Amino acid sequence: MDWAFVISNAIVLACIYGTLAIGISITWSSLGLINLAYGFIFALAGYGAWLTAQYLVPLLPAFTVGPVVLLGGILTGVLGGLLVCAIAFIPIHDKPNFTVRGLIATLAISLVGTQSLMWWFGPRSKNLPEIFGTGKLKLFDIVFTADKIGNVLTSILILVVVLHWMRSSRRGLEIRAMMMNPHAASIVGIGVRRTGFYVMAITGGLAGLAAVLLSQTYYIAPFNGLTPMIKGVSIALCGGLGSVRGAVIAALLLGFNEALTSVTLGGQYVLITQFLLIIVILLIRPRGIAGILDKAREA
Amino acid sequence: MSARREVLNVKGLSAGYGPMRVIHDLDFIVHSGERVGLVGLNGHGKTTLFYAIAGLTGWQRGSIKLNGVEVGRTRSQGPGRYTHEVVHHGLALIPQGDEIFHGLTVEEHLDSGAFTAKAWRERAERKKRILAIFPPLVKLMAIPVGRLSGGERRMVSIGRGLMAEASLFLVDEPSLGLAPKIGKGVLDALMSVDLGDSAMVIAEQNVALLEGRVDRVIGMHVGKLKGEASAALMLNAKREVH
Repeated sequence: MDWAFVISNAIVLACIYGTLAIGISITWSSLGLINLAYGFIFALAGYGAWLTAQYLVPLLPAFTVGPVVLLGGILTGVLGGLLVCAIAFIPIHDKPNFTVRGLIATLAISLVGTQSLMWWFGPRSKNLPEIFGTGKLKLFDIVFTADKIGNVLTSILILVVVLHWMRSSRRGLEIRAMMMNPHAASIVGIGVRRTGFYVMAITGGLAGLAAVLLSQTYYIAPFNGLTPMIKGVSIALCGGLGSVRGAVIAALLLGFNEALTSVTLGGQYVLITQFLLIIVILLIRPRGIAGILDKAREA
Repeated sequence: MSARREVLNVKGLSAGYGPMRVIHDLDFIVHSGERVGLVGLNGHGKTTLFYAIAGLTGWQRGSIKLNGVEVGRTRSQGPGRYTHEVVHHGLALIPQGDEIFHGLTVEEHLDSGAFTAKAWRERAERKKRILAIFPPLVKLMAIPVGRLSGGERRMVSIGRGLMAEASLFLVDEPSLGLAPKIGKGVLDALMSVDLGDSAMVIAEQNVALLEGRVDRVIGMHVGKLKGEASAALMLNAKREVH
């Protein structure tokens, strides 16, 4: 078996799914919203990047293609996040039973949204230009293609920037405070709705990033946000909702599992082994991997 | 004390949760520079009164003027929806039972209390002031609050409230659940805060801890304020409440 291939694939998948999982995890723990429209934001951002590549890129010099397409995807993701926030969070967040209502509202957005994408762009899948070029790098007898290296570096870079921002800035402090205790957050003067927009914009941007990166391997289609979202949700669960470090570790584990399964058993068994793995982890640690990392007592 | 100003003026306030009405047509005035003790048994509405001022109850009706600005409103749902606006008008609520962020460090916690723009700019200086009031926190600044003991958490929780640029401090049961000695230390710290132009209301069950140290004491009984006594008449006030 080609271990180098398995490991490099695992890391690429882990970066992309980890980005999605962190977005879902942050949304859930700070807003109490299970964002089922995340797959829709993902697909929307893919089309945003595609439109950028179609209409904006020909006007620009060649070396800007990568950053511009990436930026187009991320900004569309941000807009998608704000849209979902305005429709599914702001009107109902203080109504009784918000968790279920939010779940249904985001599911509705997801269904309506993906059908609209289908109606607007048609069912044919689209391709993005290769934003990281087509070069290859040979290291220790292993060939790394440019898109793999680009994927890993870009997602790590943007995640580090986002997480650093959450650690050091005032808005980040607000978001983290809301993740830990929303009631106390309102007592110290943090406006739930304004923070909601920040959170949804950031997580939407992360979805956009993941969409552009994944489209380097796959393609853009109205319904291709669903599988990444399911994987993102399961990684977020497995890592422990609300824990960024847990999500990163879970993403590595599940990425490795996915790459290994597709090499040994075949791609069609990926979801089976993945959910078996998640069930085992949650049986042992019901709070996910974060349960091991967390040193602070609850309440 | 400069000219006495009404920091808080509550008129005809009723509040509760769902079908339950906890506070009944209550009037309550707090002047600047004043320390007020609010005493009463469990379940008689002290916390609900504080929550109503902060807009955190299930529903409420009546007028609440904070520094002359109307912050009360009749509403039937959305607890906490307007709380951040009330906080911006100068309220610092130090809630019962330490509503803390268990994963934030002590320092981040104090930062989160400095919410208004002015307090945020001055937060280094303000933190120094809090640490002077609660010296044990100096060593703990980089530790997540979830790992602290009950007494230390209470200090953090009170410190967070005092970080705010507030004109009204509402302190809910500062000695609850603490060993008597630690509880007394926390109360001493609260008494040592220089209020300046602001005011402080302390809800407390242990009347002995307030004795002779607050400007007046008000008893609370089944959602109404009963009797008012200066600190000298403490014991009478206590009898009236029971």
